[in-house]
Amino acid sequence: MKFIYIFILLSLSLSNISAQNCEKIVQDCEDLFKTSKSGDDFISDGQAYTAFLDRENAEFNTTFFGGAIYRLATSAGSRENFVIFTIKDLEGNILFSNKNYKNSPYWDFKVKSTIPVIITTELDEDLKVTGCVVMLIGFKNE
Amino acid sequence: MKKSGLQLATIAVIGALTLSSCEGYSSIEDNIISGDVRSPNSALNTNFDGAVFSIPSPIQTGYLIKELNLSFDAKLGNDPSKVRLYVDEYSQSLNLGIYGADLGYSALYDQKNITLKYLSSVENLTNQLGLNAAFNTEFLNSFESKIDDEKEMIHLMSEAFKKADNFLKNSNRKAASALILTGGWLESIHLACQLNSKSPRQEIKQRIGEQKQSIGTIIAILNEYNNNSLHNDLIEQLNDLSLSFDKISIRYEYVAPEIDVENKTTTFMHSTEIDFKNEIVEEIKTKIEAIRLSIIYNSNL
Repeated sequence: MKFIYIFILLSLSLSNISAQNCEKIVQDCEDLFKTSKSGDDFISDGQAYTAFLDRENAEFNTTFFGGAIYRLATSAGSRENFVIFTIKDLEGNILFSNKNYKNSPYWDFKVKSTIPVIITTELDEDLKVTGCVVMLIGFKNE
Repeated sequence: MKKSGLQLATIAVIGALTLSSCEGYSSIEDNIISGDVRSPNSALNTNFDGAVFSIPSPIQTGYLIKELNLSFDAKLGNDPSKVRLYVDEYSQSLNLGIYGADLGYSALYDQKNITLKYLSSVENLTNQLGLNAAFNTEFLNSFESKIDDEKEMIHLMSEAFKKADNFLKNSNRKAASALILTGGWLESIHLACQLNSKSPRQEIKQRIGEQKQSIGTIIAILNEYNNNSLHNDLIEQLNDLSLSFDKISIRYEYVAPEIDVENKTTTFMHSTEIDFKNEIVEEIKTKIEAIRLSIIYNSNL
C-alpha cells in the first residue's frame, strides 16, 4: 500500500515538474517566434503546443491557409537545436524538415494555396533524449 | 530503522524535485546523453500532454473578411450582455472562444465601442475561468491603450489566448482549452457563412470549404477530453456537420517546394482546388447556426 502511495506522489511530482519545465521553454520559444527580417512580428495562432517526449515523436494535423506566411518555432531547452520538425502533406510527401538545416529552431513558410499538413516533432536523440518540446505557430499575411 | 510510508514518500518527492531542478538548470553538456544511457524499457515513455491538436486561428478568417472589404455587421457577433447567462465552465469556455473571435472581428474593423464591450465580456469569462494570469490588468490596460492600433490589439489578444491555452494545458484543464478553441472556430465559420450569404464571394466560400480538416480535429479534441461525457451532444451535432463537409471535394497536386536557405523560408508550390455546390455552403451554414444558437443561449444541445 505504501508503495502505491509513494508511486502516486512521485508521479504527481514528476508531472508538475514537467509542466514547470515546459512553461520555461514556452517563454524561450517565444523569443524565436517574435521577430522577422521585415520587422513584422508573427501573430500567434493562440495555442501552445507542448509534449514531454522520451524517444518518441508528437504528431498533429493543421491547415496552412493560402496567402499567409507561417513561422514554426521550436525549443526544448537552452540550446536551440534540440528539436527536429518535419512537415508532410496528407499524401506523405515531405515538404520540409529542419533536420536538413542544422535543426534550425525556426523556419518560415510562404503558402500560396491552402494545404492541410501533418507536423511531426521529435528530439534529436544525438543531443537530448528526454524532455519537454514546445512548438509555436505564428502567421502574417503575405 | 524502519521508515514509515510518509517518510518514504517524502524522500521520494524530495528526490524527484532535486533531480528535476538539476535538469532545469543543467549545462548544455549535461543534456547530451550518450546512446548507452537510454533504456528501451523506460517507464517514462509518455507524452504528458496526450495527443496534440491544432486549430487555425479564427483571426485568419477575420483578416480574409476584411481584405475583401465586406462591411462590418455588428449583429453577427454574440451579444456581449449575454455573458451573464454563462455560469458553468462548459458554457463559459465555449463562449469565451466565441467572444474572442468577435473581439478580433470588431478590432480588425476599428469598432472601438463594440471592441471594448467584447473585451469586457472576455474579461468577465476569463475571471470566472481563473485565467487572470493571461488576461491580467497589464493586458487589459495595454489593449485599451492600443484601441486605435488594430495590429497591436490583434497581437495582444492572440498572445493572451496563447498564455491561457498554455495555462489550461499545464493545469490539466484540457477540456476547457478544447472548448475555447471550438467556440472560436465555430464563430469564425459562422461569420464567414453569414457574410457569404449577404454578399457571396468565392474566397469566402473557399475558406469555408478549407475547414474540412479542421472539423475532424475539433471532433477529435472534444472526444479526447470528454470528461463525464459532457461533450457528447456537441460532438453528435459536429459529427452531423462533418457529413456536410465530407461532400466537399478537394483536389491536391504535389509540387516540390522551393527553399531559400539564407532567409530560412520555404515556399509551398502545390496546387489545391476546392469544389462544392452552393447548396452545401447553405447546409453548413444552417447546421453551424443551430449549434451556435444552442451555445450562446446556453440551452441544452
